[in-house]
Amino acid sequence: MEHLTAETFDQNARAALADTQLRGALKNLAVTFGERRQAAIATVENWEDLRERARSIKDETLAHLDKYLTDFADNAEKAGAQIHWARDGREACAIVLELLKERDATKIVKSKSMATEEIHLNAALEKTGIDPVETDLGEWIIQLAGETPSHIVVPAIHKTKGQIADLFVEKVGIEKSDDVDVLTKTARRILRTRFAEAEVGISGVNFGVAETGTILILENEGNIRLTTSLPKTHIALMGIEKVVPRFTDLDVFLKLLPRSGTGQRLTTYQSLITGTKRNATDEGPAEVHIILMDNGRSRMLAHPTTRQSLACIRCGACLNACPVYQQIGGHAYGSVYPGPIGAVITPQLVGIGKTKQLPFASSLCGACREVCPVKIDIPELLLHLRAEIAEGVTETSTHKFSEKLAFGFYSFAWSRPEFYKLGTKISRLLQKFVAKDGKIGKTSGFLAKLAPPLGAWTAWRDAPTVAPKSFREIWKSDLENK
Amino acid sequence: MNNSEAKSAIFASIRQNLAASLPFDAAHHAHHAPKDSTFTTPVLPELSTENLIENFRKNLESVGGNFSIVYDESEAAEILLMMIGEKKARKIAVSDSPLVEKIVGFLKMDAEFIENASADRLFECDLGITGAQWAIAETGTLVLESESERHRLASLVPPVHVCILEAGQIRQTLGEILELVQQSLSRTITFITGASRTSDIELTLAIGVHGPGELIVILIDKTEEAEN
Ligand code: SF4
Repeated sequence: MEHLTAETFDQNARAALADTQLRGALKNLAVTFGERRQAAIATVENWEDLRERARSIKDETLAHLDKYLTDFADNAEKAGAQIHWARDGREACAIVLELLKERDATKIVKSKSMATEEIHLNAALEKTGIDPVETDLGEWIIQLAGETPSHIVVPAIHKTKGQIADLFVEKVGIEKSDDVDVLTKTARRILRTRFAEAEVGISGVNFGVAETGTILILENEGNIRLTTSLPKTHIALMGIEKVVPRFTDLDVFLKLLPRSGTGQRLTTYQSLITGTKRNATDEGPAEVHIILMDNGRSRMLAHPTTRQSLACIRCGACLNACPVYQQIGGHAYGSVYPGPIGAVITPQLVGIGKTKQLPFASSLCGACREVCPVKIDIPELLLHLRAEIAEGVTETSTHKFSEKLAFGFYSFAWSRPEFYKLGTKISRLLQKFVAKDGKIGKTSGFLAKLAPPLGAWTAWRDAPTVAPKSFREIWKSDLENK
Repeated sequence: MNNSEAKSAIFASIRQNLAASLPFDAAHHAHHAPKDSTFTTPVLPELSTENLIENFRKNLESVGGNFSIVYDESEAAEILLMMIGEKKARKIAVSDSPLVEKIVGFLKMDAEFIENASADRLFECDLGITGAQWAIAETGTLVLESESERHRLASLVPPVHVCILEAGQIRQTLGEILELVQQSLSRTITFITGASRTSDIELTLAIGVHGPGELIVILIDKTEEAEN
């Protein structure tokens, strides 16, 4: 990905803010998906229990990821799938290219997959003269426009139907119409010809079941079913964190994901695919290849705070709920994964040095944590990453220590509101202690040590956020209360 | 491409990073441990077939599906005949379900019924007929297993999908169904809830984007006198 500097993020954010059409679309998204989600979660009695359960399944899986991944690969292989391993995006792209080359395949259909976006698979294929066709309506629109997705569930949320109509006039030569049905039928008609000729279908995976080797893919349009059943070869790209232990664990996730993402009780289609077809005359592809990709994921296992990033089921609820995303949209984040989850996983995937601004692109209001179906504590993660950044950019060890300490307890206090009061008491004690120790000087000295992260924070306060309480305000009132 | 090398490297990294996390795990767990003990699957009352049918109908209709109930196969054939007439369907893709075969056998009409159609021919069909192995009442979902029926394309490619279901195939919950389908684990299990849809353009709902725009379920209830 491109280097996301303070300037580019700032420019992106300001451009987005000036774009009233975009902000209208984002408002519509927040309200529509917010309401649908509320209505959908009201249809289960035990929503909170389901969230706890889902998280504990994910925690169990991640704590023994080597075991579950081995089981998944063995069982999928037993059922006839071919398993490939990719350490990073480059290797994953190379595996896909190799598979296409061996089959002399150039006609490729793709269904929406964040993992393939993450590794820029289309660009890698295009370099070799292969033009894969995105078949999800939203993805197809942005592919025609030469853009990138701005939302993980509704990729073309930033485009109006007028813009899409113009695009279709230009790229597929239809009469201009901004009737959504006409536009949709156009996509159906054109993409059907692509499906009919496709040699290979490429998809993502929502869940992989260790116990059976099954992959589950959810969708509403039907293009994933076509992608995974018409072409002779199906290639599925799957992050190593997508495993769940048991087949019946899918119950919990199938209740959480559609409700959180689009506010549906179930998406229109679920495809549960176990290996390859058992008789040559059966429907479906002759070969199924599953590429298991790390690409920075295993690194996240190294600490319980970062590990929770791997519990994400990519529902998009945190984007819809985020006051920052609602104002600036997905492109401002300058990365494949936008919104709160993007702000925490992008720095971990591509390296924190390239994406220092992302963990600061949040008001820490906690809305993301509230809606997350797998209870990922995104504010805690943001603070963890900020602490890492502070550690990296500061020279002396005393600086490093005090910042880490300050962030550490702040992170703890923020992530556990019930401990906040306790935290403030500790902070006063800590200040006295530090002052007495004399190394750092008077109390003001301790606060001065906070300048770099606080400085970064305050610098970002002019980003369009609507935090109910700012870090600065809390610090101020804390000092006044002394 | 050396796959075993990549595999070992990934597993080494997983194990190494998990080991590095150990010193932090206990403290974190104390604050963040999921309260798993609170989880209980709500116990549902045993529902009568009538209740199951009613729940299924309600939830199917809430996602835009069309529902008819009949007493037997010949009545199902009558309804089917009407629908085919109404849709002016000329080419009809059918799955290899014995139930579908039997019902289609009752039909006296000049439409063309195509079993096991090639992709090209499927794209010309204006209606598809399948059975289903199960249905989920709480979501209005049809469940099709590839080991029992060649279902994938007839239920997906034509603009109208008619599914013939029997009352005994309905269960209330998704959880029950997952347990059932796991037993014989077909190569492909497909869940279908309503018609193909998208909200990708300005979040406006559009039906029939890649799959059928219409889903019709004909339920055969031989268990008791179905009211009509
Ligand atoms: S972090 Fe949570 S809310 Fe956000 S996309 Fe992932 S699962 Fe959904």
